[in-house]
Amino acid sequence: MALKQVQTTCPYCGAGCQIMFTVDSDANKIVEAVPAKGRTNDGTLCLKGHYGWDYLNDPQILTKRLRKPMIRKGGKKAPLQEVSWQEAISYVAKRLGEIKEKYGPDSIMGTGSARGAGNEANYLMQKFMRACIGTNNVDHCARI
Amino acid sequence: MSMGIPEIEDAGCLLCFGYNGADSHPIVARRIVRGRQKGMKIICADPRVTETARISDIHLQLKGGSNLALVNAMANVIWKEGLADTKFIEEHTKGFEEFLKVIEKYTPEYAEPITHIPAETIRKAARMYATTKPAMILYGMGVCQFTQAVDVVKGLANLALMTGNFGGPAMGIGPVRGQNNVQGACDMGALPNSYPGYQNVTDPEARAKFEKAWGVSLPSEIGCPITHVPHRILHEKDEKKRIHAYYIFGEDPAQSDPDLAEVREALDKCDFVVMQDIYMNKTGLYADVILPAAAWGENEGIYTCADRGFQRVRKLIEPEGDVKPDWQIIAEISTAMGYPMNYKNTEEIWNEMIDLCPSFKGATYEKIEKYGCVQWPCRDKSMEDKGTPYLHKDGIFGTKDHKALFYGTDWHPPVELENDQYPMTLSTVREVGHYSVRTMTGNCRTLRNLEDEPGWVQMNTGDCERMGLKKGELVKILSKRGYCITRCLPTDRVEPGATYMTYQWWVGACNELTTAKLDPISNTPEYKYCACRVEKIEDQEWAERHVMELYDDIRAQMGIDTGKGAKA
Repeated sequence: MALKQVQTTCPYCGAGCQIMFTVDSDANKIVEAVPAKGRTNDGTLCLKGHYGWDYLNDPQILTKRLRKPMIRKGGKKAPLQEVSWQEAISYVAKRLGEIKEKYGPDSIMGTGSARGAGNEANYLMQKFMRACIGTNNVDHCARI
Repeated sequence: MSMGIPEIEDAGCLLCFGYNGADSHPIVARRIVRGRQKGMKIICADPRVTETARISDIHLQLKGGSNLALVNAMANVIWKEGLADTKFIEEHTKGFEEFLKVIEKYTPEYAEPITHIPAETIRKAARMYATTKPAMILYGMGVCQFTQAVDVVKGLANLALMTGNFGGPAMGIGPVRGQNNVQGACDMGALPNSYPGYQNVTDPEARAKFEKAWGVSLPSEIGCPITHVPHRILHEKDEKKRIHAYYIFGEDPAQSDPDLAEVREALDKCDFVVMQDIYMNKTGLYADVILPAAAWGENEGIYTCADRGFQRVRKLIEPEGDVKPDWQIIAEISTAMGYPMNYKNTEEIWNEMIDLCPSFKGATYEKIEKYGCVQWPCRDKSMEDKGTPYLHKDGIFGTKDHKALFYGTDWHPPVELENDQYPMTLSTVREVGHYSVRTMTGNCRTLRNLEDEPGWVQMNTGDCERMGLKKGELVKILSKRGYCITRCLPTDRVEPGATYMTYQWWVGACNELTTAKLDPISNTPEYKYCACRVEKIEDQEWAERHVMELYDDIRAQMGIDTGKGAKA
């Protein structure tokens, strides 16, 4: 069992608490989470911080982890079908391109994400909407 | 937040306004408790008896939707009783005379019937806030989720300005941001009006800078706010403005947004919906394409916490299955559309970003690694610039002439008031053990065991007695937009006529009821106020079965094998 310690920022709420994880790299599993001495949390965590990482194990209590790109090939009511990344990316690019061509860039809306994705992904999303699509139609759930 | 989270416990006085830290940020609430232990005075303005209210010196238990009347009345008392810091007002602010004209009529006696708070209590609170230094204001969604929200934020800033509570530690005003990276998503320009680093899209100079960096010409018109999307899909006449494609990344509007019936109709009518997420969710039922992303714990990056602190998030485990980091998916789509994005890792993206944002420029990965956290503004890359714990040092503000502006506005009531058909009010609130739409926490065994469907509606004990409702009984709750079933929680923490629900439940989905009416400036919905009615369900056995069936149906739609008669 190869154990390693990794410190990271809690994914819940804006308090920015630091958590120290013990990870079994061979089994690719988290073994333990304890509070770290972060600037804001000062060695404490709430119950989400203590117990909120179990979803990474995909226990399938509520919903299923998404593992494969999927396309609803037969239209809105049709079932989702698993596809390759290549097919998914080129399908999205083609459809967005067609809609932009037909109705213009302001007919496309994109969102950022205030959750797990992090700052870099948000930077790229707004850059994609502004520079590639050509619209300022980008927003996220700060209002929600 | 103008201050840092650790400074909370050093305030002399805390005005905690529409902010229930014990449920939304327990670790921030701990600072409030520690402050109390050190002798901090606490004024809590909240319609509910929150944990902060319980340890407060003064609890202003105001009627929902009366925020600005209370804030203006406090300003009125501070001025009339000569408690304002006239030196600070003179040296560091503008617009005070105009502001005085607005607050003139907001005597405590004028505010009393609006706020349901005795005039003398308002006076006491205003005196305590103005005379105990340093005084800090924390606020939350109880301020922001009203159709009159920005006016109240400005109103609270007015209180801090007129008492000189800016410029040093443990003072100022602080919106304690809800989601882990809502500050970061704003910092990065995931906003219709601003580029990264709060540089406005309508400012030609800023636009020219980003055009040069990104090698394209950029649109100058402000984009569509997220809360306008249903309208722009369903009712927009101009084909060029109607939303035909919606690329949804790490959001679940079919659960989190107001007036869910309208959201579902919009997603159904939208030509092309792309969902990029880690878990199947309600929105996924309407998606044409689903792109599976690596989750927190499976990717690298930086978050910004509520007090402007950049901190690293690190990979803990390797993702299983055919998933990719969010940034990589976006880069691949962009490249496929003819605008190549080639980055090796998140640090390369970060370096491009900080060089375009003066306020973030000094916050390199190296520095964030070394110090653990860097609060922006951090303008210099040298290791000596460790960032900025609190803003507006020495009363110098971010305006051209460095002066702060007073903004006075009149109070107006919420949009949908109680009426004969819907005689009660509904406000949505937070659940301590669950997060947002709960695809993360609902899939954690321990947290699921703490609280599960269909959630609770908090109601005043007297109202429950009158309606013959007992704790745990299933009730139907309705507004003119929809209804859901939830459990009754009688409590003396809430006032008669008011109800409160948390928003992560599928069966007890309070957003079936909420209104999509928005604040005109922030475009935030009035989640904290709509008219509703609670109905008793006579056949409780049927109701229990019905809730379980609904729950199992939705889980089956999410791809879960529920098994026949499985207990959810």
